Amino acid sequence: MKELISNKWLVLLFRLIVGITFLYASLDKIVHPDQFARIVYNYKILPGFLINIFAITLPWVELLCGVFLILGLFIEGSSTLISLVLVSFIIALSVNFLRGVDIACGCFTTDPNAKKEGAWLLLRDVALLLMSLQILFFNLNFLSLQKVFQKKS
Amino acid sequence: MSIKKDSSRIILQAIAIVIFSLIIGIIYNSFSKEGISVKGNWSKKVVSDSLIVPYSYTKDDPPAISLGQAMTYFQTHNIIFLDARLESDYKAGHISRALNLPFEEFEQYYPKVEPLLPRDKNIITYCDGTECEASLFLARLLKTKGFNNLKIFFGGWTEWSKSGLPVEKSN
Repeated sequence: MKELISNKWLVLLFRLIVGITFLYASLDKIVHPDQFARIVYNYKILPGFLINIFAITLPWVELLCGVFLILGLFIEGSSTLISLVLVSFIIALSVNFLRGVDIACGCFTTDPNAKKEGAWLLLRDVALLLMSLQILFFNLNFLSLQKVFQKKS
Repeated sequence: MSIKKDSSRIILQAIAIVIFSLIIGIIYNSFSKEGISVKGNWSKKVVSDSLIVPYSYTKDDPPAISLGQAMTYFQTHNIIFLDARLESDYKAGHISRALNLPFEEFEQYYPKVEPLLPRDKNIITYCDGTECEASLFLARLLKTKGFNNLKIFFGGWTEWSKSGLPVEKSN
């Protein structure tokens, strides 16, 4: 079982899945920060003065971590950050689910019309979190740029 | 390699990525046409003592009305209250005679509700309360569909039901 989980191809596959997902999710947020900020506001978790700076920064964290995971650079730092982001998404979704607050999740789109599919979103975030943790713990350099750099130095 | 050395490297990488993102984010945002202010104002706007509207409400939106005005309109009968909340919330309790047109499922409900909305009548949209914007978004959508006699009651279901005004439930 351990061999399967730590299989280098599996780690690479997860890096690509998580990386592409985060890269894709970040683009719409970068282009439309006002709509993303509104979504953050709708979650009613962050205090008002932090909403905009969060909405400006988070998409770039997602973009950089996504690109780094795909290329295989700073894999540990990127998967740690992605795991933290996913944990906070999961907490935010659950809190609002329990509160009964009606939030349109802006994970892939910034359209507030997007159907709320809370359970599915939670499941997806948990799956991504497990992949991200697997990348962090088994951190294999298989097919990664950081391996190339390590060899040179 | 020791765990301590590993974790400090990981933390350093993570902090560096966050700081780098913050810097590019702020630079990109300041050049982008869609850029937003770094320190946003997300507090509610107070129009008058009895009228509080969400931050996203602008002067181009249909007029906002207070609980008192909503009551007056309710008594004139020449109005239609439109509940912008989900059908389940509407069924659990709504303003008497209000119709349901959930903002989130607008496309699905609109064809059924449209025949019940004469263009010459005043239409008042509402949702849960000042914290919710479904009433505002619904009014904006209706405006694009050619409705002109629109008003928004931001106090919504919360203010109305707390004041002991006429309510209904449906099955």
